[in-house]
Amino acid sequence: MTVAVASGRLLEDSMRTLEAAGYLTEDAWRSTRRLILPCTDPSVRCLIAKPADLLTYVEHGAADLGIAGKDMLLEQGRDVYELVDLGFGGCRGVVAFPEERAARWEMLSPIRVATKYPRVTERYFWSRGRSVEIIEMNGTVELAPQVGLADGILDLVMSGRTLAENRLVEVAEVFRSTARLVVNRMSLRTRAEVVQAVVERMRTAAARRDPSSA
Amino acid sequence: MMRRERWQQVPSGMRDLLPGESARARAVTDGVLSRMRRWGYQEVVTPTIEYFDTLVRGEGTEAGDRLFKLVDRGGELLALRPEMTTSVARLVSTHLRGHALPLRLAYAGQVFRGSETGSGRLREFHQVGCELIGAGTLEADAEIVALAVDALAASGVPECSISLGHVGFLRGMLDGLGLPEEGERGVRALLYQKDFVGLRGILDRYGVPPARAEAFAQLPILSGRSAIQDARGLVETPENRQVLAALEDLVGILNAHGIGDAVRVDLSIIRDFDYYTGIVFEGHTASLGFPLLGGGRYDRLLDGFGVPYPATGFAIRVDRVLASPGHGEPAWPRSSDVAVVFGGGDRAAALRLAGMLRAQNLAVTVELLGRPWEEVAREAIAGGVPRAVLVAEGRAVIREGAGRERSMPVAELLARAAAGRGMEWIS
Repeated sequence: MTVAVASGRLLEDSMRTLEAAGYLTEDAWRSTRRLILPCTDPSVRCLIAKPADLLTYVEHGAADLGIAGKDMLLEQGRDVYELVDLGFGGCRGVVAFPEERAARWEMLSPIRVATKYPRVTERYFWSRGRSVEIIEMNGTVELAPQVGLADGILDLVMSGRTLAENRLVEVAEVFRSTARLVVNRMSLRTRAEVVQAVVERMRTAAARRDPSSA
Repeated sequence: MMRRERWQQVPSGMRDLLPGESARARAVTDGVLSRMRRWGYQEVVTPTIEYFDTLVRGEGTEAGDRLFKLVDRGGELLALRPEMTTSVARLVSTHLRGHALPLRLAYAGQVFRGSETGSGRLREFHQVGCELIGAGTLEADAEIVALAVDALAASGVPECSISLGHVGFLRGMLDGLGLPEEGERGVRALLYQKDFVGLRGILDRYGVPPARAEAFAQLPILSGRSAIQDARGLVETPENRQVLAALEDLVGILNAHGIGDAVRVDLSIIRDFDYYTGIVFEGHTASLGFPLLGGGRYDRLLDGFGVPYPATGFAIRVDRVLASPGHGEPAWPRSSDVAVVFGGGDRAAALRLAGMLRAQNLAVTVELLGRPWEEVAREAIAGGVPRAVLVAEGRAVIREGAGRERSMPVAELLARAAAGRGMEWIS
């Protein structure tokens, strides 16, 4: 049984939840650079993957379960079961424009938007009947409007500080995201009992850590 | 690294099959088709390209987005088939209209998905499948599930099993909610996405009683021996009761087929409920993340083609069979059983020998480049070819993999070959 965990902003809370569910000893993941960690339960192992790759592992069955941001689920549209809202990793996907253009962003056409979420962006603007030119980026999206690469951005915000520091103003919220427990569709069938046990322990652990979730 | 030009590549999601893999794919296809023939299913072939209108009639308009489309000379819109059931339905409603029922048909071929992108998803792959048309009974459902089990066994994948569900169960749950149309659309969309977090959210938003919402939350785990019992406790609409009773009867028939152990009831299977009307099932093997096989009952499809026949069937994905752990590694197969080399004046005798051996179902290659005997024999035997034969100056030299070699007059070799004893007499 393999559980995939995303490196980056969800890592710490994911590991804490696995600890709370009794699968990892405390801080076992801090002292090592290994990408596959053994768990306290010898039948379970934990794999650390890039956030953008996480759902690939789960969809292909290289991992039976995974902890992924809802943002990645929305962007990638993978065929996996999304079973539990783990509550942590809260953030929002928003459209933001430079202060001076924010008031008339709805009049730009076609609108050039820089983003790490090309499919979400396309769906969002198309569903509003807007033509959009997507500039796909891998990081520091907020830079794009300042150097004339794009009119605005669609990106994740947590506190909103990065937006403010780059003189960007939120004009629309596109989605809300938290960490989700996802399961490979075949694992749910071929290893039903074991997978269900992990799902329930994770659900309980998440609810204990954050009573508002689950 | 050398720059790869576009002409050296294939479009994303397309692939070449080299000799080893191609041979395995062919063996799987032939093995499954011949197993289907034993159940009375006869192969039909339909065109790769159909009118867009035909395919949309079978798949629903939303499917239009995932089709590979082309424009014909007259401006008509064509598309590559995304699966073969619709084509078979068209064929049945035209050529086989009025034919005695039930019809048992099988097919094999490539199908195309225009929209699948990224993460190694193929846009062209091989399918082998079958359709049982004109029988709406549980016996027919059981036959198709039993054939699915048998076909997976014939595909060579070890430890396969079938998960069996019913779209009526989910539909009953949905109808029981009494949601407005928009709400039901939302719930269906989330079910297709298998987003149970979002599903809980929308059910709460529409004020669905917690017990009902909880029943949906239990869906992913409604599987195994107690699934039907557990499901009875969860939902009590008449449609659900009827569906569960039918599933129970079906399991009884499957036991009589002797395949009860290979089938597991799983009410969490979510397949298109606008298309399927009854049982739905998937076939899988441990440690492959995708189903190998999918199918179910689709009693409305043929109605759309003007023949109201009930129908059920399934298709196996050959690419996934080949990718299954335990199916054997792709290896470059040996190119032939015998490599023949001839000297100056002995071409006619060598070619006659080759012809005789081929007639006995052996694969024979004849040296084309005029290379020396030693070189050809060494290379052939190193490549796994069990025998090399040199025909020169009226004599034949036969060398085998183990290093054994013997020689005899060409006339004697030809006489022995003519007696039809393959190459076995040499050892």
